[in-house]
Amino acid sequence: MAYRHAVSRSRLVGLGPALLVLLGAAAAFLPLLWFVFSAFKTRADILAVPVHLLPRKWTVKGFADLLSQTQLGRAYINSVILALMTLASVLFTSSLGGFVFARLRFPGRQAVFALVLGTTMVPFLTLLIPLYLVVAKMGLVDTYVGVWLPTAVSSFGIFLCRQYITTIPKDFYEAAKLDGANDFQIYWRIVVPLIRPVLAVLAVFNFLASFNNYLWPLVVLDDQKLYPLPLELAQMSQTLGITNYETVIAGALLTAVPGVVIFIALQRHILQGLNIGGVKG
Amino acid sequence: MGDIAVATGKVAKATSVARRAEPASRLGMATAGVLLVYYTIVFLIPFGVAIWLSFENWNFIDNHVFVGFANYTRALRDPYFWKALKITVLFSAVELAVTVPLSIFIAYLLSKVKGVPQRVLLAIYYLPVMIPTVVTVLLWQLLYLPTGGLVNGIFSALGLPQQLFLQSPNQALWSVTAMIIWAEIGGGIVLFLAGITTIPASLLEAAQLDGAGLWRQFRHVVLPYLRPIIFYQVVVSVIALVQMFTQFQLMNGPDFSTRTLAVYSYELGFQSDDLGLGAAVSVFIFILLFAATLAQLLRYKSIWED
Repeated sequence: MAYRHAVSRSRLVGLGPALLVLLGAAAAFLPLLWFVFSAFKTRADILAVPVHLLPRKWTVKGFADLLSQTQLGRAYINSVILALMTLASVLFTSSLGGFVFARLRFPGRQAVFALVLGTTMVPFLTLLIPLYLVVAKMGLVDTYVGVWLPTAVSSFGIFLCRQYITTIPKDFYEAAKLDGANDFQIYWRIVVPLIRPVLAVLAVFNFLASFNNYLWPLVVLDDQKLYPLPLELAQMSQTLGITNYETVIAGALLTAVPGVVIFIALQRHILQGLNIGGVKG
Repeated sequence: MGDIAVATGKVAKATSVARRAEPASRLGMATAGVLLVYYTIVFLIPFGVAIWLSFENWNFIDNHVFVGFANYTRALRDPYFWKALKITVLFSAVELAVTVPLSIFIAYLLSKVKGVPQRVLLAIYYLPVMIPTVVTVLLWQLLYLPTGGLVNGIFSALGLPQQLFLQSPNQALWSVTAMIIWAEIGGGIVLFLAGITTIPASLLEAAQLDGAGLWRQFRHVVLPYLRPIIFYQVVVSVIALVQMFTQFQLMNGPDFSTRTLAVYSYELGFQSDDLGLGAAVSVFIFILLFAATLAQLLRYKSIWED
């Protein structure tokens, strides 16, 4: 009896917070809603006073102009290429580095791992100007490789994989070792399949981070043909600017699509994965 | 019996000897070697060059000249440097002061909502985090338009006076800050909610039996429990906030009112071609963040030595 009473009371108590939190979510969601609907409005409708959410007249002119007047498609391809390059190198180096630092013995192991972690001590902004000089000296200005280089390895990724791999019992590979497997075979056939969940989290966040990169591509790219989405979009909003709201909004919406789609599809993993790096463990 | 014990003892001894004598792993050395080369190129050399450049005068073209601490003294006498520093510190402090308590509060409320509704609400709060920064900036530039923008539209519906937002030197920084809070708060909420769900139910029940309402449970059970996560979130946020660039570069308010150290250092290096001063300002950012990055490193260290 007392127990049931407590339960119903806690349900009632839960109603107030639920309403508050719902209100907050609605407020957070409103700008996005306005944005999505505005992509289907006419130019005059977007900024009409008084403000309204739904289009008075639905149109896809913004999207049509996007195709005919801008190079967003090209920027999309650039962004995907850069993200895939980053993804491939980050996943490989994180898992291999994680395994090597967690389980193998060799001279200099501690020192190199300390260097990997030590890089997190220096803000990227401090490295920005000299990094540009280094990349320029290597002849990599205005190349995909130049954009990719600073994102090619993730020290946090190595750290994360190393943590995860230390929790795998050694017995898992002692048997393979007795069968004559070498270190790389153990890494590839045993470790990689076991740490797939961590790699998935790393993949999602590095993909998104790469899609979001603005500062470094801005520094290292002059050739607009190589611009990834954020640069192209910023450029577009400056050139089309005030007159072509509907095109800019349509472009911005399409730029946000990959992140939102990935989020909706992998929501559970993403929200749990965040805590791999966050809450101690 | 005894024989077996002796035998297994021998085997155990033999394997431990074998382990100690294990040759250095070639895969390990190769991987570490590649990483060493990589970080020499993208980290050690640039970091060294940053410090070296901060003692030089250079404009990309002419010969560089050693000037000692001149760039640092120039920075300290430069009113734009102080303005940028003030903006950076003020913005970061206000952002944290709003985001941390608010995200804890929302996470706590969300923890009272269970199941599917909780997941849907959490997803909505987190959604802005997934949106590319440039898109967020474009969106809010429209929302903040003095005529026809959604924010002024809501203001007029509420009977509040119309504002200039990004076009006002007094409001631009706080308009950008509000946008950043909107864009970033989801990360904190997810983190704190995960922390709250690990609080043993018995702790909260005991407080409830003692007659503690939601607020007092929050103050006396939830907050103390979350303290390590709060510390971690503040450290990570400070590092990210001080370095934020895209928002401030694209939403530049009048009268340099949104020019942070990050943007100033970039402009000195790549627009004014004053590499020495730009490097000095960037080294200053390193010093400014030293305590935070050190705390982060020590946290990594404590985890890996567990």
